Amino acid sequence: MKRIRDAINGVDLRRFRFWLQLFFFVLLVYGGYLAVNLGQYLPTFSCGFNDAGRGGICYLLPLQHQLAMSWRTLFGWAGLMVVQGFLFFALWFFVLNKGWCGYVCPLGTIQDWITSLRTRLGIRYSRYTEGQFRRLTLIKYLLLALMILIPLGIGGALLPHDMGTPFCDICPGRMIIPMFTGDFSQLTIDFSTKTTTVMTALGLLVTGLFLGGAFFKKRFFCFFCPMSALHYLLSKPALLRLKKDGAKCTRCGDCYRVCDMEIREIADEVKDPRIMQDDCIMCLKCVATCPEPGALKATFAGITLFESTEQGFIKRMNQGHNDEQHPH
Amino acid sequence: MNSTPTDAAAPAYNRSRQAREAETLLDRIEDDFPDNPQAMRYFYDLFRNVYCHGEPVRHQGTLVGTTCIHAPEELIYAFGATPVRLCNGSYHYDQIGADFMPAKSCPLVKATLGSLHAKAAVPNTQSLELIVNPTTCDQKTKASAMMEAMGYKVHDLELPPAKESEEARLYWQRSVRSFALRLRELTGRKLTRNNLKAAMARTARAQAAFRTLHQLRKSAPALFLGKDAFLVTNAYFFDDIDRWTEAVEQLNAELRSRQTEGFQAAQKRAPRILFTGSPPIFPNLKLPLLIEEAGGVVVADETCSANRMLYDMTAVDEWLLNDMVDGLADRYLKPCTCPIFTRNDDRQRRLLQLAADFNVDGVVYQAFAGCQVYEMEYRSIADVLAAQGIPMLYVETDYSPDDMGQLSTRIEAFLESLKTRKRNKQ
Repeated sequence: MKRIRDAINGVDLRRFRFWLQLFFFVLLVYGGYLAVNLGQYLPTFSCGFNDAGRGGICYLLPLQHQLAMSWRTLFGWAGLMVVQGFLFFALWFFVLNKGWCGYVCPLGTIQDWITSLRTRLGIRYSRYTEGQFRRLTLIKYLLLALMILIPLGIGGALLPHDMGTPFCDICPGRMIIPMFTGDFSQLTIDFSTKTTTVMTALGLLVTGLFLGGAFFKKRFFCFFCPMSALHYLLSKPALLRLKKDGAKCTRCGDCYRVCDMEIREIADEVKDPRIMQDDCIMCLKCVATCPEPGALKATFAGITLFESTEQGFIKRMNQGHNDEQHPH
Repeated sequence: MNSTPTDAAAPAYNRSRQAREAETLLDRIEDDFPDNPQAMRYFYDLFRNVYCHGEPVRHQGTLVGTTCIHAPEELIYAFGATPVRLCNGSYHYDQIGADFMPAKSCPLVKATLGSLHAKAAVPNTQSLELIVNPTTCDQKTKASAMMEAMGYKVHDLELPPAKESEEARLYWQRSVRSFALRLRELTGRKLTRNNLKAAMARTARAQAAFRTLHQLRKSAPALFLGKDAFLVTNAYFFDDIDRWTEAVEQLNAELRSRQTEGFQAAQKRAPRILFTGSPPIFPNLKLPLLIEEAGGVVVADETCSANRMLYDMTAVDEWLLNDMVDGLADRYLKPCTCPIFTRNDDRQRRLLQLAADFNVDGVVYQAFAGCQVYEMEYRSIADVLAAQGIPMLYVETDYSPDDMGQLSTRIEAFLESLKTRKRNKQ
């Protein structure tokens, strides 16, 4: 038993994540070809616009559709349908918590690939200043609010119907993910009405920002993701958890250093054992980079899956020392 | 520089006083205790060679002196240079250094200045080409100008007085980068991903060996004594890093086999002591030795001549130069429990955790007379430990041997009280 635990805690997380992310990417982007269908309530960007290959549909698409029903329908019997959808979404989410972001989300995986391309080219990352961080981190809540309010406005005939699914319009996933199955049709501006022109042009702009931003900033888009905001609001009862034992923490900041989302609390907070913050993507890099035994751990339904160990840290950092040299 | 070959004619007296001080202590360390680990032979011999016979400090490339644990040694190694820690523990040099500092100042700073001023000093660092002086406590900060006046080249490595804020962290990262530039100027070499990686791997290996040694001290009854542990970490100040690491790995192997044999280096009932405060630096191992001569055993420490110097390890996410250098900077600032920083809750938490992990019976807090920051933190540490029911002995002392008698009485009484406590608990 101890040997199994040591093997897990000594895992090369980088490699483990790469393969698991690739698996989920194939499942969600190409699964459709193998008749995989995980339904339309997935708490991750398995884009519905990827008609041919999708292995399931991102919940934000049906959610916006449902909320845009006329108010009479929405606040009538159809409301139950919305609640039911939300429950399915929540059940999916409870299993992996934000692990959906760090391990499953195809858009997140694409960003990690872009990051590894950058490091291979020997180009350094950029970081936000603390002030920027505190302000920018609020944008995802704003997007979440708009994503709910605009469809409601459409349903109440306060907003034009062609705003359709406003978040999907600007989501880079809509343009990028279908491209992986050879569908480039989303990569256009829809000139049919003034609203669609504006929204799809905005979408094109965001996609450009996504590709450029992700090149210089690790997980650039996740910072603004309304799905991430929605996740956080539901995260308390989730089964997969990130825990910190503050007494064992030396506040060396190693976890903060490697955090793609620049979450300072992971290093500095020593009182609250439930350390997961709203920007967290549960990639567990912090656990892998913590040299203090048991200071950080990932648990599932109370059972420890993966925890920080001295030996694990030394092994993983040693791998860094022995990395193959990239060509300059 | 002060020591020139012409001085070589008259070192005998200085060296002999220094050597006697070292010799007496080494004899006590070796002969007063039975069952020293075989692998300690390397360290005993090393100290005899360097301190008693004045053998020069071995180095490759430029020799760079450091006056504090905050100077990132990996950077120095990466430039093909060798760091040597100048913090000195000799009473002889403390007296010489008294000319530079006010009467009530820290003996460590005085002894460091004294050894730099002395002719034919031990350890023999005659070819020192640069001194890195991190701006930590007031006394070390002010020492910069004095060292410069002695003819040394000094780099002030600017350290922020607080470490919690993001501003402090970025300030320090910049400070470390400009230190790298200074080293480039000094050595005429370039910092590359490969040479930094190689340097970091050397330090990482040394740290891994230290951590293993540290963890072995959790064993109860103890596998070896604290006086030897301090000697091992003190050797890190000036020994060749790879040789040091190998010697520690050998010691670890021997201690592991002691563990399986059920060997006891101290009595079962021997009070287990956590040592904190001003750093014991050879030959001033007065207090740890008194503790162990009186039947206690130092099982862990929180000092900058041992644990604080080697325990915390660097993490890197992307093995590119920028991330590696910033990672190093973080490792030298963030986990540091030095009392010069504004807050000391990290130090409090670290002590409590060490006390729990190492099954400690009591804490001995050494404050050098004149080391204000440790004196100032005494109260808060005492309160935190008292709240957890951990007894603490606060000892204000310096490098002079005069208070040995008085100290040994106090220590014996403290250890006796710990034994009684232990008995009553059972």
